[in-house]
Amino acid sequence: MIRVVTLDPFDDKQLAKFNRTLYTAFGVGSEHSGSVEVPAGMSEPLDAEKLVDELKGIRSYKDDKVLLLTTRKLKDRELPSGVAPTAGFARQGKDRAILTIAPHKDLESAFKAVSRHALHQLGHLWELHHCLDPRCSMYPPWTPSFAQGEAIFCTFCREKSEQKIRLAKS
Amino acid sequence: MPEGSASLQLAVGDRVVYPNQGVCRVSAIDVKEVAGQKLTFVTMRREEDGAVVMVPEGKVLAIGVRKVASAEDVEAIFAFLRSDSDKADLDWKQRARTNLDRMTQGGIMGLAEVVKGLQVLSELRPLPTKERELYDNARHLLVTEVAAALGTAEVNAEDAIDIVLFPPGRERPKRTAAEFQREEGDLDLDSDLLGLDSDLDLPSDEEPSEPSEEEEASEEGESEEAASSEEGAPKKRGRPPKAKTEATEGAEPAAPKKRGRPPKPKPEATAEGAEPPAPKKRGRPPKPKPPEVEGAAPAAPKKRGRPPKVKPPEGES
Repeated sequence: MIRVVTLDPFDDKQLAKFNRTLYTAFGVGSEHSGSVEVPAGMSEPLDAEKLVDELKGIRSYKDDKVLLLTTRKLKDRELPSGVAPTAGFARQGKDRAILTIAPHKDLESAFKAVSRHALHQLGHLWELHHCLDPRCSMYPPWTPSFAQGEAIFCTFCREKSEQKIRLAKS
Repeated sequence: MPEGSASLQLAVGDRVVYPNQGVCRVSAIDVKEVAGQKLTFVTMRREEDGAVVMVPEGKVLAIGVRKVASAEDVEAIFAFLRSDSDKADLDWKQRARTNLDRMTQGGIMGLAEVVKGLQVLSELRPLPTKERELYDNARHLLVTEVAAALGTAEVNAEDAIDIVLFPPGRERPKRTAAEFQREEGDLDLDSDLLGLDSDLDLPSDEEPSEPSEEEEASEEGESEEAASSEEGAPKKRGRPPKAKTEATEGAEPAAPKKRGRPPKPKPEATAEGAEPPAPKKRGRPPKPKPPEVEGAAPAAPKKRGRPPKVKPPEGES
């Protein structure tokens, strides 16, 4: 089950459409599971790693994947090889990911790009790595063509994610 | 044998890399009796999923177990991935063999070479399924080792690698087969296998149609002269043209050879005045008619159905 948890107010209709997109992509149920507050002391831009680790009050079952959705900016990560533009963050094989819709104002205006990015972060939760195919949602998200693509996976990534989901269900 | 493995001294708690399996932690080193022999076993637990493997101490080096790469090694990996000098091998058999060696015995640099090589190849054409799986495995092993070496999360290690491979704000270049051609000792196997630069003698739409035999015969003398003058020119690749039959003076030029089944030989012409044989009819031959008796009435047509009952003679009862 994919649980979308919002950190800021969103339009319900748009969230329902967003959940339908996730359901279509992964074949598992997706629902809006309420809202939580950002911990006190955290200011924009938010530290994605810290937020994912420290956020409390989210109820989920085993094998559930939680996607945190916010309108606030996330801080770019300093890595040994350079600075990684961060519009989302997910730990490999874990159960939580975070995604921002910034710099867009609402979900409707950037629905395609945000959906594609959501697939990317949820793919990391199901242990997918970055893909070589520019049409796949697992392509590195900082590339210029990423936002223009559809919210789909390539055959390899789709099959791998389906396998992971099947194993998790059993 | 991987670098530095000759002096591999393992202790409980060490992090090692088992080739093709990933980062493991040595959980025990103990002596066990197997078939009457006392052997020292190194027990390793894979960090990813906790799978346990026991290896005799004497086999550790032969298997290729090595210590986790250092931060300096990772810097060298980033420098290698950043470089644009690597060219993919277009010979799939050679590539598969090399990649297998790199995966098992190449160390972290071998993993990086596999990832870089396949990524460069994917800029030319999509990877086949097996190589896509190999790419994913190599990437996974590289990411876990870089994460272990730098002490960061796997996602950060992967992004650190991909920032180098896919620089932000830049699209991947499109490669052409010409970029991958080897400069020396080219056996022309690659392009032939790929079908990119085929030398087969297949007819193509772009090729001009072959000149007729008459034209060939008339041009033969010229072409011989031209051939003698073109000795310095590079030889044409592919199958040499078939030797032409020399046209004799005054003889009619041979008709162009037709393709397909040769026509059936026609029956020899019959003698003059004789009627040509009737064309053969198809289907079942008609039944032979019974011989007619002279003076006999023609037989009534046979009636169908049940024969009528025989009426009893009247006035007898």
